[in-house]
Amino acid sequence: MLSKPTTPQIILDCRRELLETIDPVVSDPTVKIAIQMLENVLRNCAERSAHEIAWMREESDSMVAFARDVKSTVGSSPEIDVAIASYEKGDNVTLHLDAVSDSYSRAGECLSVALERAFATGHTELHLRGREILALRLAHEDAIKGDWAFVGRG
Amino acid sequence: MIDPNVMPGKLAAFLSEHEGQRATITAYEPMSGGYSRLMAKASVSWADGRSEHLVLRGDPPPGRAMMETDRATEWALLSALGRAESISMPQARYFDATGDELGTKCIVLDFVEGRSLQSHINECEPGEYGRHTFDLVDTMAKVHSIDPDDVGNAIARPNDWSTYLSGLIDRFRQADRAHAESNPFLRYVAEWLDANKPAPLPLRVVHSDFQPANIMVTADGSHQVIDWELTHIGDPREDIGYYAVYSAASGPSLIMNDPVAFLARYREKTGFGEDTVNLATLGFFSSLAAISVYAQILAGAAAMSNGHNSGIMTTYTLNALTVGHANFMGGCVAPTI
Repeated sequence: MLSKPTTPQIILDCRRELLETIDPVVSDPTVKIAIQMLENVLRNCAERSAHEIAWMREESDSMVAFARDVKSTVGSSPEIDVAIASYEKGDNVTLHLDAVSDSYSRAGECLSVALERAFATGHTELHLRGREILALRLAHEDAIKGDWAFVGRG
Repeated sequence: MIDPNVMPGKLAAFLSEHEGQRATITAYEPMSGGYSRLMAKASVSWADGRSEHLVLRGDPPPGRAMMETDRATEWALLSALGRAESISMPQARYFDATGDELGTKCIVLDFVEGRSLQSHINECEPGEYGRHTFDLVDTMAKVHSIDPDDVGNAIARPNDWSTYLSGLIDRFRQADRAHAESNPFLRYVAEWLDANKPAPLPLRVVHSDFQPANIMVTADGSHQVIDWELTHIGDPREDIGYYAVYSAASGPSLIMNDPVAFLARYREKTGFGEDTVNLATLGFFSSLAAISVYAQILAGAAAMSNGHNSGIMTTYTLNALTVGHANFMGGCVAPTI
């Protein structure tokens, strides 16, 4: 396959074409707003395509490790056992996007049930560690989002 | 509904049928700014010599809506609020309940001459927000002063605050279950909110999308509240929290500049006490209140993921979910060791 230019470069060039070639000749205000939204979505996609597999894998490792730590620290719950088993049973190796996304979702369920267990047991340290993983997830989402506000309202 | 070549004829026939006199559409144009529904403005001349402007508010084509709400429910609510003269708002005049006449289920309302409060504050320097802030608070207080009996059976009436709030919190878990992937933010926030419930308030009408783009300012400076599609009976602090969240993402924010003064004015206008309306409840409801809109956007994302939805509005508003996550976490204060 051709890997250069990279996917983000191609997407950002589409964005440039949209803004420099198409937008100036559009006068319909509803289409203008759609173009502003497309511009934003293209920026999101460029950033996401550059990192999403690496970020999902990084977060998945943290989420599943956290669930195992909760299990060993305060004891398991049926939900934790099911979530970890489901994660381990699935494909966590393949790097095709659909497989990584599915694995990420299973890992997310591990984090969810582990956080619920941390709450139920009132374990503050585990609670704070769980929040750190959520903070990492949010940091990645924020990087994808970039500058954003509701366009066209008002 | 947005085709200006077809709609004048359809609308003229629809209005003539409902009014019993001939209506002529002299202008018809789609309106921008509405996110969830299609909007258009029509200029109408009646056979009796009157002329007026009307707004059409209809459903997008199937699979193109960023959120699904029910026009019949909205029509019933708008009609009830209008009959009771509960609050200043554009009168809902006509309803195509089937979409057979206007091409989609559609409510026809009076057009409000004026601009949105959002457009007014966009033009202000930060030092000039004061009057708009108090006006916004006063309008919010008016919404929350509506007698819930005014809306009759148009929207569901929860039995009691405690059951209602628990149900609202559980919507985070429901949203997670219904989505196309696991979302640990939702499950965490649900646990946190369950563990940190505030003192109760009487259940009131909650607008649910209370923000300056949904407030029209008329020539005399008075407010008319629009876009009631998510309105429900609930905890009035939901609107305060929602506005805080919304304005953080799409400012300028009239609350975060001085939340203490904002809440003091709100208490003064509603009669609620400081034990129930304070910075802590602002944080709680900032996490909680956005769930109605958030869940709708997330459902749109799930529908797209499953191949049942498409459109720029769905992909564009994915970013609002990230804003929601940031606000959920911001309102859920971390424990200390």
